[in-house]
Amino acid sequence: MDDERPARFEAVYRETYGQITAYVARRCGSPQDAADVVAETFAIAWRRMDDMPPGQQATLWLYGVARKVLAAHRRGEVRRQARSAELDAELADLYGDSPDSRVELGAIAQALGTLPDDDRELLALVAWEGLDRAEIATTLGLSRNAVRIRLYRARRRLSRALAEAGVRFTAESRLVPAERTS
Amino acid sequence: MKNIDGIEAMRPLARVEPGKPGGRPSGAGARTLLASITAEEPGAAAAEPHRARRYGPRRLALGLAAVAVLATGVVVGPSLLKDGRGTDPAYAVTKDANGIVYVKVRDFHDAAGLTRQLKDLGVPAVVDYVPEGQQCREPRATYVTDVPRGLYYAPTNIPGEEGGPGWQMQIDTRRFKDGQTFVWTIGESGTSTILMNDPVAPCVLVPADPPKPRPDFLDYRVATTEGHSLAGYRVEGKTVGEVVPEIEKRGLKVTYMIIEPYPGNPGGYSMDPARQDIPVGKDWVVWEAREPRRSPGEVRLVVTDKRYDRSPLGSPED
Repeated sequence: MDDERPARFEAVYRETYGQITAYVARRCGSPQDAADVVAETFAIAWRRMDDMPPGQQATLWLYGVARKVLAAHRRGEVRRQARSAELDAELADLYGDSPDSRVELGAIAQALGTLPDDDRELLALVAWEGLDRAEIATTLGLSRNAVRIRLYRARRRLSRALAEAGVRFTAESRLVPAERTS
Repeated sequence: MKNIDGIEAMRPLARVEPGKPGGRPSGAGARTLLASITAEEPGAAAAEPHRARRYGPRRLALGLAAVAVLATGVVVGPSLLKDGRGTDPAYAVTKDANGIVYVKVRDFHDAAGLTRQLKDLGVPAVVDYVPEGQQCREPRATYVTDVPRGLYYAPTNIPGEEGGPGWQMQIDTRRFKDGQTFVWTIGESGTSTILMNDPVAPCVLVPADPPKPRPDFLDYRVATTEGHSLAGYRVEGKTVGEVVPEIEKRGLKVTYMIIEPYPGNPGGYSMDPARQDIPVGKDWVVWEAREPRRSPGEVRLVVTDKRYDRSPLGSPED
């Protein structure tokens, strides 16, 4: 057994925990589900340490793992496994703020809901995780060209859905402050 | 994004604001999770499944309050455990001026002595030694669900150190509330430290539960990637009739997973366990070949009964 594994894993865990929990919380309806998915994602990462790329690539790889775990979770294939009240509570904190409930946002969410899962995921990786095309390609195991084309189509479908939902944008549309990291 | 477009419009929908982290890795829940994960052998070593499984996430599966878990893979360096005379005490419990108790344990047998020492230093703990293959009969008490923050740091391994099965943790004795007991079970196969509400039943040893099976998809991996049984052989989009002879030629047994793509094949599929024994035709289409992680010799083909313009599995699996 390779003795440096626990240390290396711990380093990756600390480095990526914030991003992975954010990714999962943005896609899970409840903190309990999020706790299951986060736990399973890192458990798989630990078991597949040998496949985990070094450096920044590890984050992208983990997004890919989390995505598959989420899909499996939605199919009911992930058992409830790693439940600790503290983990639930910490993730519940992320759900605590009452979301911005302006009508406009509800309409955007609805429009988004009409898109295929793949479109939504692509768009979310850009909008929420802030990934660029190359990073998305790595995360999803696609070529950059495939990402470019799919993203183009997904954006077009989103625009159409938004138009149908009556959402319009003006220059004054509120923009979320970019990139505040801690 | 230069234009205000749909992507920009999505940003306020994010539950965790874009650019911000979600949870903190320093939180107690995050640390407990880390400890429970690394308590398993990395790679879920097939050679030692019992060790990899027991007391890992399973102990957490009970829906508990804070549970800190570790197995024999978590080690404390011998230097930390030596007392002033150069011998290794079975355990060491010390308290600093701030009321923080530091615990190091390397031999699990003297649970009564450890309980006494902890109590002397203000930790309301009950410690039981649990031999391999056994566990305390549950439930022993109800679990404290609102564990005070900072009460204790889960036992963790110390990177870069080698040695026996020992571990260490720290506890802030000022944060205990009346009517709570820290219930520890320690043994060669793992440790759990759970805060419970009084009264706590004594530990009655019973045989340990067998490990729960993992969901199927975790036990299978893609067979066509390097180093696996079908390395270099492409199956996606071929028919069952094409692929099966190729696999059988290699002395492997073929099984099937029959999937049903979502309507319109947007990516994603469902699998109906009740419809898995339908005979698979030679003209069915193969999307992926998987193999069991632990028992070689089988290849499981992911198939559909008709052809689709693209793989229902979405992007290639790892």
